[in-house]
Amino acid sequence: MIDFEEELKKFHPSLEVEDAEEAIYNQDLTDMADIFIKLADKTKTEEE
Amino acid sequence: MICYNCGCRLSEHDFCTSCGADVALYKRIIFMSNRFYNEGLEKATVRDLSGAIVSLRQSLKLNKNNIDARNLLGLVYFEMGEVVNALSEWVISKNLRPKKNIADDYIDMIQTNQTRLDAINQTIKKYNQALLYCYQDSQDLAIIQLKKVLSYNPKYVSAHQLLALLYINSEEWEKAQRELEKCCHIDTNNTITLRYLKEVEHMLMPEEAAKNVPKRKAVSGKAVRYQSGNETIIQPVNIKEPKGVSTLLNLGIGVLIGVAIACFLILPGQIQGAKAKINNELRMVSEQSDAKTATIDEQEQVIQKLTEEKAQLSDELAAYQGSSGNVKATDGLMMAVRAYLENPEDIETIASCLEELEEDGEDKADETAKEQKSESFTALYNKLIETVGADLAAFYYNSGYSSYRAEDYEAAIPDLQRAYEYDETNGDALFNLGNSYRRSGDDDKAKEVYAMVIDNFPETELANRSETNLAEINNAEQN
Repeated sequence: MIDFEEELKKFHPSLEVEDAEEAIYNQDLTDMADIFIKLADKTKTEEE
Repeated sequence: MICYNCGCRLSEHDFCTSCGADVALYKRIIFMSNRFYNEGLEKATVRDLSGAIVSLRQSLKLNKNNIDARNLLGLVYFEMGEVVNALSEWVISKNLRPKKNIADDYIDMIQTNQTRLDAINQTIKKYNQALLYCYQDSQDLAIIQLKKVLSYNPKYVSAHQLLALLYINSEEWEKAQRELEKCCHIDTNNTITLRYLKEVEHMLMPEEAAKNVPKRKAVSGKAVRYQSGNETIIQPVNIKEPKGVSTLLNLGIGVLIGVAIACFLILPGQIQGAKAKINNELRMVSEQSDAKTATIDEQEQVIQKLTEEKAQLSDELAAYQGSSGNVKATDGLMMAVRAYLENPEDIETIASCLEELEEDGEDKADETAKEQKSESFTALYNKLIETVGADLAAFYYNSGYSSYRAEDYEAAIPDLQRAYEYDETNGDALFNLGNSYRRSGDDDKAKEVYAMVIDNFPETELANRSETNLAEINNAEQN
């Protein structure tokens, strides 16, 4: 049986157009490749 | 694939041939990103948009520079009605690769049409308002708002789901099912949609199961459920579809119903129409018949009238033509008059001409012939007789008496008759006429003539002699 309140919590307000700019700016675009490069640079620095 | 250190194109080796950097792990990360992208593309192709989002996000988590994955992610968001999310991805994509990026076209498509952009914005605001209503327990208002949202953006999956949830909460299972089926059309493998759908079907199915209990008792086995494109098909197994006899039976019942409808509804109307038409035609024919009958009667009267007229004219014509016509009578009179004018003493010629007139009168009914003669004819005739009548009487008496004495009674009788006609005072002519009849054997005529003598010349010797002869005839008859 579906609990209405519980299910309702899963629905979030959508971003409006005016909020899109801020959302883009706040988005963290760090990916695995970036992490790998950081690790690689750190390792290299430590070796040096 | 380019080296993360020097930017050189990498080869199949696990190190950069330019700077010598170890790129094995880096390459693996990129490969995995691409693999997730492929997976996301496959899912998007079969409309598993939720699954595609997960895969594409994974791809971007591994490699944020996977422009194809990011653009596709934007497309998927757009298809699900999440326009702002889609725009975000495309903007980021454009920033990562400013040139030769299809994200430019996508962004232009939305931003150039200001009306559409405003409509999208309104849709999002209404959805957020509806969500707020739900939190405030104003579910009716939320439903109204969500219907408006979906009228603007029919592909907004979240709005469909929220509306379905509201219907489920108010136990409007069929409406909820409709909304969820629309969600399935857009995003086939959405977990929330499938879960709600399962709940709704569970609530709906027991009612159908109760209706079909007799059938289910007869059939064993479970129902088979499978996806056919965007549709979910639930087919019970081991149920034979009715064929053959039942189909024929249904067909027969349908035919009977059709025939019954035709007999009771359609046919009476058509019969009525046909009767009315026939009556109308009958009335027209009757009117025509009456008119023709009247015409026939009229014509018959005309014909009768013409026939009578024709008969009359034929009689007149016949009277003027033939051996005893008025034309011949007139000619006879003219000849008699001419003979008198040429030689008044030639009584014989005059008499012979006048004898023709007598034949005309004797051949036909005398009164009719005489009536047909004109006044001029009669006047002329009378005048002629007045002039030569006495001479004619003497001529005929002499001729008749001579024939009587010569015992030629056949010749005597007509002459003596004429003699008396022209001179009714000539008793001798009448008496000798009677004697001629007697001697010729015609006692009846003789008796008539003797009676005339007695009547016209009473107390004369002729009358006495006539009486004597009459008595002798009577005695002879008695004997």
